[in-house]
Amino acid sequence: MKSAHYFRDKVFFLSAIIILLCLVMAIIFPSQFATLDNFSQLLLNLSIDTIVAVGMMVLMIAGMFDLSVGSVVAFSGGLAGYLMYYHNVNFLAAITAALAGSITIGFINGWLIAKARINPMIQTLAMLGIVRGMALMLSGAGIQNFPYEFIYIGQSKLLGLQAPVWYMLIITGLFMFLVNRTVFFRRYYFIGSNEKAARLSGIRVERMKIWAFVLSALLAGIAGILLSSRLGAALSTSGRGMELRAITAVVLGGASLSGGYGKIAGAFLGALFMALINNMLIISRVSGYWQEIILGCILILAVGFDQWLLKRTEK
Amino acid sequence: MLRLQDVSKSFPGVHALKNISITFHAREVHALCGENGAGKSTLMHIIAGSLLPDSGKIYWNGEAVQVHTVQHAQLMGIGIVYQEDTLAGSLTVAENIFPVNPPRNKIGLIDYAALHAQARQLLEELGQSAISSKARVDILSPASKQMVEIARALAQQPSLLILDEPTASLTTTETNILFTVIRKLVKKGTGIIYISHRMAELPVIADTISVLKDGEYQGSFNAKQTSAEAIVAKMVGRVLEKTPYISHAQNKIALEVQQLCGDGFRDISFTLYKGEIFGIAGLEGSGRTALAKTIFGDKQPQAGKLLKDGSPAEIKHPADAIAAGIAYLPEERKALGLFASQDIASNIGVASMHGYWYNYGLNSTAAREFVAQLGIKIRSVTQNIQELSGGNQQKVVLAKWLRTNPDVLIINEPTHGVDVAAKAAIYELLKKLTAAGKSILLISSDLTELLLISDRVMVMYNGSARTILQREEMTEEKIAALASGI
Repeated sequence: MKSAHYFRDKVFFLSAIIILLCLVMAIIFPSQFATLDNFSQLLLNLSIDTIVAVGMMVLMIAGMFDLSVGSVVAFSGGLAGYLMYYHNVNFLAAITAALAGSITIGFINGWLIAKARINPMIQTLAMLGIVRGMALMLSGAGIQNFPYEFIYIGQSKLLGLQAPVWYMLIITGLFMFLVNRTVFFRRYYFIGSNEKAARLSGIRVERMKIWAFVLSALLAGIAGILLSSRLGAALSTSGRGMELRAITAVVLGGASLSGGYGKIAGAFLGALFMALINNMLIISRVSGYWQEIILGCILILAVGFDQWLLKRTEK
Repeated sequence: MLRLQDVSKSFPGVHALKNISITFHAREVHALCGENGAGKSTLMHIIAGSLLPDSGKIYWNGEAVQVHTVQHAQLMGIGIVYQEDTLAGSLTVAENIFPVNPPRNKIGLIDYAALHAQARQLLEELGQSAISSKARVDILSPASKQMVEIARALAQQPSLLILDEPTASLTTTETNILFTVIRKLVKKGTGIIYISHRMAELPVIADTISVLKDGEYQGSFNAKQTSAEAIVAKMVGRVLEKTPYISHAQNKIALEVQQLCGDGFRDISFTLYKGEIFGIAGLEGSGRTALAKTIFGDKQPQAGKLLKDGSPAEIKHPADAIAAGIAYLPEERKALGLFASQDIASNIGVASMHGYWYNYGLNSTAAREFVAQLGIKIRSVTQNIQELSGGNQQKVVLAKWLRTNPDVLIINEPTHGVDVAAKAAIYELLKKLTAAGKSILLISSDLTELLLISDRVMVMYNGSARTILQREEMTEEKIAALASGI
C-alpha cells in the first residue's frame, strides 16, 4: 500500500472508529450518550483543545512542535482579564492586546528556533515555564467579574451549540481549506519532509518556521480568550497539560514527529476521539484516575499499530 | 565460497529476483552489473542477511545456510559496505569503525587507547592516515566517509566483502588506493563482490563479471577478455549508442562570475555562454560544490560579483536564484533533493509553486508532462518517490528544475549512482537543453563524463581555479593532474 493512500486512510480510519464507538455507546447507554445535551457538552469540551491542536498540526507537518501552547492559553486569558479588571480596558482592546502578546511569544519561539537554531523542544519547553510564570503574575489567584461582552464570546449559543464549538468548527474548516489549497501551507509539508531540500527548492524555511510558531501561539491565544470567557474567570492554571493533549490528538490524527505528514482534519478527529473516550469512561462510571491511564495506552497502541503497518508495507 | 542456487525474491508487484544461481569464489573480485532496478541491491541484501529469499538455497563453504540477520552474516564472515551513508555522524571515526565490539579493558569498559590505535591501523592500511581516528564523522567529506565505511567492514575481518558502488564518491587517486587495498585483500584470500556503474573500472579491478537484468541472471564473463560494450549490451539488452559531441554554445553570455570569493574558494572568474556546457573538475573539497552553492544563493559570497544576462544579480537565497532563472541539482540526491513523504507530482512541483492558491490538478498535469518528456518510469504521479530506482529519482529531481524553466542549470554529479542507460539518457537530455539555449554548469568527478559532453572545463584545486581548458586541450590525464595540484 502506498503511504499517500495510507494517510488518506488515516482520516478515514479514525472516522470509522469514532462512528463505531458512537454506535456502541448509543446502544449500551441510549439515555445518557445519545442525547443532544451530551453531544453539545462533548463538543464544548473538545473545542478549545482542537483549536490548539490545529496550530500544533501545522507545526508537526513542518516537523516541529510547541510545548508552550498550554502556558500561552493561560497567559492570553490572564492578560485580557488583567487589563479588563484592573485597568478597565475595553474588552476588544483587551482581547487585541492578549492576542498581540501571544503572537509575540510565538514570534520569539520561532525566531530563536529558526535563526538561532535552538532545538524546538528546548526552546518551547523553556517558554512553557517562562509564560506560565507570566500568567501567574497576571492572574494571581484568579480574576473574575468580566464585562458582559467578554462573557458573551464564550457563553452564547447558536442553533443549540455553544460558541466555542462554532469557533472550533470555523477554525478547523478554515485551516482544512488553507492547508489543502494554499501554496503557503503546502510548503510546510516540504519543510517537514526534507528541510535542506526545501531550502534548495527556493522555500524560505526560516521565515516559514517563524510563521508556524506565530500561528500556533495565535491559536493558543484565541483558545485562552475562549476558555476564560467560558469559565468567566482567568486562572493561572488554565491550559495545564494542554500541549500534551494537543500533541496526542495530532499524533492520533496522523502526524509524524519527524514531519511531512498530517492533515488538519486529523487534528479535529484526534481530539474528538480523545473526548469521546473520556465521555465513554465518565458515562460508564470508570474512575477519573483511569482516564489518563487509558488515554496513554491508546496513544502507545495507536503509534505502535502505525509502526507495525509501516513495517508490513515496507517489506 | 558462496553459492546461490535458484534464489528468488518478490516484493508486492515486482519480481525482484528470478531463480538466480551464482557462485562467488575466494581470491576473486566478482563484479555484479546491471541497470538500476535489475536486482543487484536485493541480491546484496539477501547475501548480507537483511532480506530473506522467498525460495532458493544459499551455500556457504559448501554448507546450506539461512542468513537470517545482518549479525548472523557478519559472524559467518560476510561484510558489506553500503552505497548510502550509514555512519553515526555525531560519533568519532574510531567509534564508527568498531560499533559493536570495541576493544575492552579488564573490567569490560571501552579501551579508547586500543580503539584509536586499531582504527588508525585500519585507516593506514587504506592509505587514509590523513583521517584522524578522533575526528567527528559528520565533518568528513563524502569520500572520507566512504573510506570509514570500508574500514568498518574490514574491522570484522570478513572472508567475503561486498562493496556497493564504493567509488561513486571517490576521486581517481582515492579509487586507486581502494583498488590497491582490494588487491591486497584478495591476495590474503578474501572474496570480493563489487558493484559499480563505472564500466571503465571493471577490467582494471574485476576478475569475473556477472550481469543481472530485470531480476534475471544473464551470465558470467571473464572481465579481462570481455569488452565493456558487450557487458553493457547484456545489461540493457541492446547496443547503446554513444552520445556524439555537438556544441550548442552561442556567442551570447548567460552568466558572468567575477572574482567571486566565498567559504572554501577564492577569486573565481568565468563566463558561461548561452547553450554551453561548462564543466567544473576538481577533487572533493576543492571548492567546486561551495562555488555552486554560492552562485545558487545557498551560501553567501564574501566578495565578487555575479552578472546574469549582463546585469548584476542580487542572490541571497535559493529563492532569488530560482527567480533569476538559475537552478541547482545537488550532489546528494536523497539528502538534498528528494522529499520522501511526498508523491512524485509534489516532488516535481515544489520549486514552481507560485501565487497563493495550490492547484492539485494543474500540478499533476504538469508533472505528467515532464514524466513523459524525460521518460521517467512510474505507474502514476501520485506514487511515492521512494519506490523509484536511483536513475528515475534523479530524473524526478531534474524534472523539478526543468519545470522552473531555468536559463542556467548547475548540476552537481548528475550521474552519481546512475546506471549506463540512464546516464546516456541524461546526457541526451542535457544536449537537448543546450540546443534550446540553456546553459549548464556541470560539476563532476567523472572525467569521462566531462570529456564527453563539456565545451570547456575549469579545473579547481584547493579553492582556486587552476585553468580553463578549451575542448581541444582537454585530456583525462591533464585534468587529473591539474585537479591534484600537479
